[in-house]
Amino acid sequence: MIRKKGRVNIHIDMTPMVDVIMLLLTFFMLTTNFKPDVVAEVILPLSHSAIKLPETDVVTVVVTKDNQLYMELDSQVLRAKIFGEENKLRLGIPVPDKNTLADLLIRARVANPKLRTVIRSDMSTPFGQIEDIITLLQKVKITRFSLVTMLEETT
Amino acid sequence: MAGADLAAPDSGKKKKGRKRKGAKRISVRIDMTPMVDVIMLLLTFFMLTTVFKLPQTMEINIPPDMKTQVEVPMSSLMTLRYTADSTLYYNMAVEDPQKVDFKDLRTLLIEKRNAIPRLIVLVKVEREGTFNQMVDVMDEINMAEITRFSLAPFTDRDKAIIRKVFGA
Repeated sequence: MIRKKGRVNIHIDMTPMVDVIMLLLTFFMLTTNFKPDVVAEVILPLSHSAIKLPETDVVTVVVTKDNQLYMELDSQVLRAKIFGEENKLRLGIPVPDKNTLADLLIRARVANPKLRTVIRSDMSTPFGQIEDIITLLQKVKITRFSLVTMLEETT
Repeated sequence: MAGADLAAPDSGKKKKGRKRKGAKRISVRIDMTPMVDVIMLLLTFFMLTTVFKLPQTMEINIPPDMKTQVEVPMSSLMTLRYTADSTLYYNMAVEDPQKVDFKDLRTLLIEKRNAIPRLIVLVKVEREGTFNQMVDVMDEINMAEITRFSLAPFTDRDKAIIRKVFGA
């Protein structure tokens, strides 16, 4: 049997720790940007371009690795108009083929002429697919568009 | 935050300026452990889910119509061909293509830009290549501060030219 020692009552004042943790928590809560919602997961290519992606008035063409096409719109009003009322709450819809995409793009641009076109594609998408989309954009008279990339830190 | 007040009931009287007669203080000690637990959990959650890196964009302008012919002097034209097997070929005007390593591309582009002020780069990426290859080349062109470049389809003729020079 071990003899019981007289216990020393230790009290640690947690107040400073709680203060610091509270500060950290507030910092993270305020700076957090949740991972943006996407219709399809893509691995973005890296580039040194540092132009911010606009948050409003954007139409996004998503091309996945296996050549699946999606179209995303940021405004619900526009989504209801272009994708139909039932798809209002969905971020984007799959697009079966390129002619449909051209048609949707024209309608979206007519509804909101300020729309900026953005292509978000997986880094391993065959280039032919992107080339076709660029040709299609040219055909629907979208001559200014952006490619979504991740910022590369190295020089 | 409610701190533990361990002061003895009569300690208030010793302090200067205390007018109030020391009402009997009840020592309140709040156990902060559960609160700290919850806050720690929240902190961990926010630290792990936060994304600092947001995607950026690369802007591209294309001519409004494929049919518009823009006359360019042959002497200021540089063609970059990127094949699906990640080999980069470059040539000035109608010279034979030469191989160039991707890591040397920027130096080459800067050198050519300094030599020819009105340099136009024609980028041809093979259809079987990847989107990443195109972004890489465009990025190098942007970094070399060349503003005049254009994308052109990689045709069978390009394939034939490369085959003619390098065989196989």
